Amino acid sequence: MSSGLKGREPYPAGGTSAIRRRDLLVAAGVGLTTVGLRPAVAASPDQLTWGVHVSLAPTWFEPAEASGIITPFMVLYALHDAMVKPMPDTALAPSLAESVNASEDGRTYEFVVREGARFHNGDPVTSADVKFSFERYRGIANALLKARVAAVDTPDARRVRFQLKEAWPDFLTFYATATGSGWVVPKAYLEKVGDDGFKKAPVGAGPYKFVSFTPGVELVLEAFDGYWRKKPAVKRLVFKVIPDEGTRLAALKLGEIDIAYSVRGELAEQLRKTPGLALKPAVVQAPFCLYFPDQWDEKSPWHDARVRKAASLAIDRKGTNEALTLGHSEITGNSIVPRGYDFYWQPPSPEYDPDKAKRLLAEAGFPRGFDAGFYFCDSSYANVGESVVDNLLGVGIRSKLRPIERAAFIKEFGEKKYKNIIQAGPGAFGNAATRIEAHLVKGGVFSYGSYPDIDTLYQQQAGEMDRARREALLFRIQELMVERTIYAPIWQLAFLNGIGSRVGEAGFGRIPLFPYTSPYEDITLKGT
Amino acid sequence: MSAPADVVTLPSPPRVTRRWSVRLADVPVVPATILLIIALVAIFANQLAPHDPEVGSLTARFKPPFWQSGGSAKYLLGTDQLGRDVLSRLIFGARVSMVVGIMAVIVAGVVGTALGILSGYLRGWVDQVIMRITDTWLALPALTFAIFLAAIVGPSMWNIVIILGITYWTRYARVIRGEVLSLREREFVHLAIVAGCSKWSIMARHILPNVINSAIVLGSLMLGVVIITEATLSFLGVGVPPPQPAWGLMLSDGKQGLMVGYWWLTVFPGCCIMLMVLSANLLGDWLRVKLDPQLRQL
Amino acid sequence: MARFISRRVAYCLLSLFLLSLTIFLFVRVTGDPAALLVEPGASAADIAAIHHRFGLDRPLWVQYGLFMWSLAHGDLGQSFYYQTPVLDLYLSRLPNSLVLASAAMVFSLLIGIPSGILAAVRVGRFWDSAGKVFALLGLSLPSFWVGLVLILLFSVYLRWLPSSGAGTPLHLIMPAFALGWYFAAAHMRLTRSSMLEVLGSEYIKLARLKGLPESLVIAKHAFKNALIPVITLAGINLVIMVNVAVVVETVFAWPGIGRLLYEGITFRDFPVVQGVVLLAGAMIVIVNLAIDILYAVIDPRIRLER
Repeated sequence: MSSGLKGREPYPAGGTSAIRRRDLLVAAGVGLTTVGLRPAVAASPDQLTWGVHVSLAPTWFEPAEASGIITPFMVLYALHDAMVKPMPDTALAPSLAESVNASEDGRTYEFVVREGARFHNGDPVTSADVKFSFERYRGIANALLKARVAAVDTPDARRVRFQLKEAWPDFLTFYATATGSGWVVPKAYLEKVGDDGFKKAPVGAGPYKFVSFTPGVELVLEAFDGYWRKKPAVKRLVFKVIPDEGTRLAALKLGEIDIAYSVRGELAEQLRKTPGLALKPAVVQAPFCLYFPDQWDEKSPWHDARVRKAASLAIDRKGTNEALTLGHSEITGNSIVPRGYDFYWQPPSPEYDPDKAKRLLAEAGFPRGFDAGFYFCDSSYANVGESVVDNLLGVGIRSKLRPIERAAFIKEFGEKKYKNIIQAGPGAFGNAATRIEAHLVKGGVFSYGSYPDIDTLYQQQAGEMDRARREALLFRIQELMVERTIYAPIWQLAFLNGIGSRVGEAGFGRIPLFPYTSPYEDITLKGT
Repeated sequence: MSAPADVVTLPSPPRVTRRWSVRLADVPVVPATILLIIALVAIFANQLAPHDPEVGSLTARFKPPFWQSGGSAKYLLGTDQLGRDVLSRLIFGARVSMVVGIMAVIVAGVVGTALGILSGYLRGWVDQVIMRITDTWLALPALTFAIFLAAIVGPSMWNIVIILGITYWTRYARVIRGEVLSLREREFVHLAIVAGCSKWSIMARHILPNVINSAIVLGSLMLGVVIITEATLSFLGVGVPPPQPAWGLMLSDGKQGLMVGYWWLTVFPGCCIMLMVLSANLLGDWLRVKLDPQLRQL
Repeated sequence: MARFISRRVAYCLLSLFLLSLTIFLFVRVTGDPAALLVEPGASAADIAAIHHRFGLDRPLWVQYGLFMWSLAHGDLGQSFYYQTPVLDLYLSRLPNSLVLASAAMVFSLLIGIPSGILAAVRVGRFWDSAGKVFALLGLSLPSFWVGLVLILLFSVYLRWLPSSGAGTPLHLIMPAFALGWYFAAAHMRLTRSSMLEVLGSEYIKLARLKGLPESLVIAKHAFKNALIPVITLAGINLVIMVNVAVVVETVFAWPGIGRLLYEGITFRDFPVVQGVVLLAGAMIVIVNLAIDILYAVIDPRIRLER
């Protein structure tokens, strides 16, 4: 909501001492009444408390409803478990599945359910639960999955076989990383309590079991000692919703919470300097970039690739990164595909060279720069915009920041209502191909135009069965994107969080591109 | 608004100017001076500001005010998170706050007064329609309304003016209508009707001058509400867009700095807002007593 | 009288109907909940599936008809974001909002009434100005800033009060103060003007003539009578406080209705926004109705006037 930036200046001693002096006055005035007023700090020895930045919803207990944003996985990783899921060492780690085997022709995937895996109510996890969970799944990419999977067979209690209609190289990506379809819920229990009952008292196979929940306020979980991977180290987890980030930091400092999500800018700087607290960054799957929707309009300055290149050269990514995310964001040349996605192509690191930018602008016929109109962005990231607008101004591209509230921004961006410059931050699950589809090719949700050669390459790769050849095609598309500066890259955003002194292992940044603390069973209190 | 030429000599409506004949000595000096200073600063912002309020340097971020160690005379009141001069932003912010505050009050006042007069004088279905809309408007919490309007028209300084104007006109409409209801029964109105004045002419020439005092009093009280709402919209992310310097935006942008010790980012704009709103309210209270005793219940 | 009341009630229902239509259209014009439930860039098929699930693929008038139909059955619909009935959510938050508003009202009256009395009794003197300025200060500072300063002072530095959340009376102090201070000015103004009015009345003059000490005149006679309009206003403001505490609730993580509404707006959770706005509107409309009727009972001329 507010721009957050870090300070390079040393902590101003005068400011603090001024406040301290005032405190003393107040304290002296009311000193007598303070006895016994000190709030009890929620630091019980076997509990960890989170300050969560978004409102917790019961849909997050329900893998079947994973809608394609990452936030629900904050809770899913604790309550539930998947057959295969992203884990610290590998993006496709067998979890409730002991093993996964794909047939030669790529049309059959066989999973073996882990021996001894149990739900919180004591029922063993069986192949029937896996099939049931897949079939009741109704979240993101459901249509795609159901269209491509011909049948799910359960030859015995521990074996599940997915029959595909045709070979689909991305099946595991979708089943295990991009959707909630591989997360397993107990069939018998669900049939007994129904969907609504399940949301009120969810039972899963994850490391923590459900204790209580107040929508939008607080969630309490308790360790499930029968978790297959290991016994969780911390007895109780409490998630408290604290919407304001200043308040979250205050609560962390006071020890009311142990882990604070999303603490940005100056607050992060402060956090880093406070003894006992630590800053924990996690780079997420949203690369930020500038999009030039007018590049297909011959009358627009943006039609000239040199102008777009100049804009890219004008961005001081390092300075902005230091200022906004304390240098923890990852500077990337790939504007739309995050590192770690399948078929990600690694471009050369983007340059920062304002002089060269000015030369390119002069060559393109704008020696004095030009008026570029509005710079549209999601108002939650107006701070990035402010900085980039300033950079662009430095080489003569004069634009005016226009931050739009998130819901309206996404709507209008998708309706192709914007012109001039758009600050985009693609965050969808999937792989390079899905990102290219949405942002580069004709008919894409966020593409305002396209290049015929890229469209052709995209068509080719969609029908390409051979992985190596497909990869080559997708690499070529990404190369063309960079060559033509269709987008000007900024960075892959770092999500900054804070932890208090009681936390041993917090689990930030362990699962690639995952912004939250996970896996939960690995989280520890200090000294345990 | 065609007024028929009236040949009959009418008793003139009660002299409005008489109510204005308040002794200047009564004016609360402090609030009036503060508002005058803010207005002058807003007008001469270009001459007064030492730096460009929208351009900063990342190498000069978070400089404290000059009297603290690390501060310099170059940036008297320090710099913000993008290295922009706080003093210059405050000076230009006065302009934004004045424009937003005064224009929004004028928009709300003009719309509300006009509809209030129409509603109260014409009565009948016009009254019904306007009052039902007013009731609906009043039942919708102002902030909710403003957030939606901001999402529809997009944020810009002038849009904020429109948004605040549209949000708050109902407060005028209600009060003015009430006054018109009693005014229309007064003798000078009856005489004007007898003299053959059209209803438009009566509303414009006889009713309006008599409710303008109430509108002015309400306006001075609304100024504070409008400025605070503007700041709150910034807090909710739909206010005057950055990098434009507006006090509310500075306050909301700098609020995180408060916890870190960058107190000057919020204390200065906070004081500016406080002084302006407080002065407007004190002046409004005074005007209310002076101009319009009927409004004391407000 | 019966005719007057039935007409007022009809107006109220009309207002609420207009309100439902306004808010119904407003939420739909300004954003798409599906776009917020997926990351930007999701496929059109997935967006369509979400639309279908929420019934957003039907024509607007059908959606509105269904909304009104279930409303008539006391059902406010199912939240998109929480996937629970809006009414349950609302009722789970309402007690918090009521507690906060009541506590805020206590602060507001504690500041507003004494400063109003002081100002009335000492017109034009130091205490008049001091009382006015203190009450008006609450109106002159944005409450998010007051909230953060309070947290900084009483939680971070002094460590007397918990920074946020709800649960104990200690949690209540800061948000109630921040909210109440804002409303104190209105109570101060009304206390002052109605005190002045009462003090100028024949009745008080008589009391003075009887030789009662001034303090007793003020405390016993003037104050008691001046209090009636203030209490009426406090009643109205209590309803408003329940519904407008968005900012205070956000800063202090107080789980009330204001935050429910604000989050509903942010996520374009249509049923939540519609439900909360309608219930808030109903509350305000009912209070206004009650006042209208009350005044009409007291003063029959009003019935003819309006």
